[in-house]
Amino acid sequence: MALNLGLEGKVYPAIAFPVEADRVARFARAVGDDGSFVPPTFVTAGEFAALVQVIADPELGLDTTRVVHGEQEYEWRRPLRLGEELSVHPRIASIRTRGGHEFLTVETEMRDPQGELVVLARNTLIVRRRG
Amino acid sequence: MREPVRFEDLRVGLEVPSLSKVVRREDVKAYADASGDQNPLHQSDEFARAAGFPGIIAHGMFTMAHLTSCLVRWLGDPGALLRMRVQFRSVVFMGDTIVAGGRVRELDPERRTATLDVWVTVERDGTTEYPIKRSEAEVRPG
Repeated sequence: MALNLGLEGKVYPAIAFPVEADRVARFARAVGDDGSFVPPTFVTAGEFAALVQVIADPELGLDTTRVVHGEQEYEWRRPLRLGEELSVHPRIASIRTRGGHEFLTVETEMRDPQGELVVLARNTLIVRRRG
Repeated sequence: MREPVRFEDLRVGLEVPSLSKVVRREDVKAYADASGDQNPLHQSDEFARAAGFPGIIAHGMFTMAHLTSCLVRWLGDPGALLRMRVQFRSVVFMGDTIVAGGRVRELDPERRTATLDVWVTVERDGTTEYPIKRSEAEVRPG
């Protein structure tokens, strides 16, 4: 099944992303950091929690058995702070086809309670051609 | 952390000290739990074999996190990392040694920022593979 091109620009409901000390500590251990700071890619946890809505969207028609992670980009406006809660806003930025493969790019904004942008994430999933 | 690098220390072509580690199953499991990405491709050998791999592979983001650790150790400050864009080009298996590195490509003295080429390599069967290739980071050291 091909991706539904009509979903470019679709905005998904925001989710809350608490920057909990315990989870940050577990993440830091898993990636080999010393725990003295919030690892910059801890934002992946919030991004992924929001991305699940896109992946599971029946309107999109994503065949998860053919998906690989192609590209990832983060822009950090400042480091995350322990104990803060960000809101995570995913949106389908583009759907492209190249060489029989499909490229789904989701842009996710993470904002603080004052509405300030803290992190901008861009995730490109590749749906591999069949066969 | 080591002594942080300063903008004045940077030159085009300067290499970031590389950082290597052996990828262990328990770390990938811990990463799945902490990140929330429980894709069975990273946990079930049976599932991974059905997908055409000899065994489970690490999350791409696990490898990107390692590259980030490499840069933050060099910078001495997570806030000095402004942006990173990576392309995932090869998979990482359990037991692989992943080596993260980078090199200064361009300096902007006005903004006191640098753009780096960054990568992660794995030596496998006598050849160098690039789990992360043609990727870049923008940094602003103190």
